[in-house]
Amino acid sequence: MTATGATMGGTRRSAAREFGSSVVTIMVKELRSRMRGRRAFIVLTVYLAILALITYGVYVVIEPNARNIAGGFGGFGGQANASALIGQSIFTLLSIFQLILICFIAPAFTSGQISLEREKQTLDLLISTPMRPGAIVIGKLAAALAFVVLMIVAAIPITAIVLMYGGASVDDIVRQQLVLLATALMLGAIGLFFSALLKRTQAATVLTYITVLGLTLGTAMLFIFWTVVISQDENGFGVQPVERAPEQLMYVNPMVGMLDVVANTEPGGFGGINQMLAQLRGDAPDLGGGVECVGDVCRPIDQFGNPVDAVIETGSGYWWPRVAISSVIVAAILTLAATRLVVPAGMRWAFRRRRRPARPVAAGFAASDPALEGAPVIQKLREGPEAER
Amino acid sequence: MMSQTVPVVETRGLVKRYGDQLAVAGVDLVVGPGEIYGLVGPNGAGKTTMMKILATLLSQTAGDAYVTGIPVDADPIEVRRRIGYMPDFYGVYDDLRVWEYLDFFARCYGVAANRRPPMIRELLEIVGLTDKRDAYVEALSRGMRQRLCLAHTLVHDPALLILDEPASGLDPRARVEMREILRELRAMGKTILVSSHILPELGEMCTGVAIIDHGRVLRSGSIGEIERSLRATALLRIDLLGDEVSVAAARTWLGTDSRIADVLEGTTHGDGAVRIEASFDGTPDAQADLLRAMVAAGHRVVGFSQATSDLEEIFLKVTAQPTEEVPV
Repeated sequence: MTATGATMGGTRRSAAREFGSSVVTIMVKELRSRMRGRRAFIVLTVYLAILALITYGVYVVIEPNARNIAGGFGGFGGQANASALIGQSIFTLLSIFQLILICFIAPAFTSGQISLEREKQTLDLLISTPMRPGAIVIGKLAAALAFVVLMIVAAIPITAIVLMYGGASVDDIVRQQLVLLATALMLGAIGLFFSALLKRTQAATVLTYITVLGLTLGTAMLFIFWTVVISQDENGFGVQPVERAPEQLMYVNPMVGMLDVVANTEPGGFGGINQMLAQLRGDAPDLGGGVECVGDVCRPIDQFGNPVDAVIETGSGYWWPRVAISSVIVAAILTLAATRLVVPAGMRWAFRRRRRPARPVAAGFAASDPALEGAPVIQKLREGPEAER
Repeated sequence: MMSQTVPVVETRGLVKRYGDQLAVAGVDLVVGPGEIYGLVGPNGAGKTTMMKILATLLSQTAGDAYVTGIPVDADPIEVRRRIGYMPDFYGVYDDLRVWEYLDFFARCYGVAANRRPPMIRELLEIVGLTDKRDAYVEALSRGMRQRLCLAHTLVHDPALLILDEPASGLDPRARVEMREILRELRAMGKTILVSSHILPELGEMCTGVAIIDHGRVLRSGSIGEIERSLRATALLRIDLLGDEVSVAAARTWLGTDSRIADVLEGTTHGDGAVRIEASFDGTPDAQADLLRAMVAAGHRVVGFSQATSDLEEIFLKVTAQPTEEVPV
């Protein structure tokens, strides 16, 4: 092999470093054009303004009734409960709205990344460089997510208001952040995948949002429909015990992940969300019943207020980690797929196949090869014109 | 560069098939170090396909292609480090500044950080964009973009430049500038593979040319060689005075000469002379002898000339030979 071949194919570490620097190269370029001008600034400001407005709105609506609701329910400790109720309300609505906004924003940032390069005919220039296709795809995803992460993190101070009221703890905020980040990653990867798959950005964007809709609303509806169908006998009567659709369906639903986070705030979750989730999980025995909680331990009750046998544990949410992990896995698979799609169709196999013996290369070439770093460009360029004159 | 033994570009029986369409039909090409090699052919002749194969953006259906001895399909990454590729149609990242654009590609090729700024300065100087360093690419004219794209092919100091129609869509002045830059690059020792559908554009600067149509190399060699091979049969234009009978006699007389392939129908000129055209296989010396013999035979010759075939005509002649349906 040639001199360059030896240096680059040499150690695994240098290959990894090269990959890393390619990712950074793409990121820097993407961020340069993305963060330039006022657009990024305006998007971030509008995003935070919406969240602040929601926070304030919830406060205005809940505050006058909080004492009544809290006092009427618990019967004692009305003051503290009222404050917690406000905090919980704010946290819940803020988390859900933030998730919805991320569902719209994250795919928008990625669904044009590859297809736009195709449309503007810049992709050929990019992939004819020695950068690995994987580095290009990951760099693009990272650049898009960098801004989304900035948005998510920038909203922490707004969310942190709930710490003042109580009702949600730091743990809850951490969980909320993890679900948001995992969601952004998955949706970003979905956008990138379609962008690599389809020639037109428009088509990629439409398909991306359809997929997002399918993941959030679609899986939930399918789950409910499936459950209803399989828990009926042929005459349409409910069968006992209730059979449920495979709950793995819900693991790719970011909404469920977030609802799980907000449902498990202290004390006892917010509103009907907990019960709704209990229904989905299958640990609430009867629609007509409620949940009677003593501390962390909740006891389902039937419609007549009598405790039901099964005791369910709601102290710690147990769906959000599954949702977060599934999101990361889906993101990884789609990123990998996008990498394959970026490589020009005829060349896909070439990157897998190992080197074929080269034609005998004269020593002269190896010596005069442009080495990876620091090709003697300047020197040569200087020599060139002078030699001519 | 140093070695003369390994060609920078070599293809052996290169074939590319799109479905049942044959884009490249067995091309053998050898380009030595330091050459400017022109691929000329009408649109759709297979030039771009060949260049894409060499630039590792397409894989060939059959045959072999090597860049500095490395097979392009087996080690594309290594080949990419040695080539600078400028596609026929390309876009630019118009939201970047000119220097950022070059900096980006220099990073893509792994050029060390401390080498980038001086290199960008040099490149901008070569392509004459020094004063546009901080301008947005968006604001550049077409010719400037073309030069910027050319500069981007040089960031990693490649041995070979593959330029697909670098002068297409440029005004005459910009064409001349582009040509000057290519000359300069050649003086720096770059090997350049350049394509065009206009032969004269390449004729003056190329050391070698391959005329391609329908995926085949019809002629190859230096411009001079191609010209000579075609001019071996020169087209003579002979203007004669006289009536139909004497012209017919002259045509029969010419027909008896073994060096004359065919004599075309005469056309009457405005001044009463009749022009006949004949393909003649012979040197200028032989032409002079022919003229003398003709005059001696009593034919009233008032004009005797060889039809000047410029590069344009050569090109048309060569590409017109195999089939007529040339996709435009």
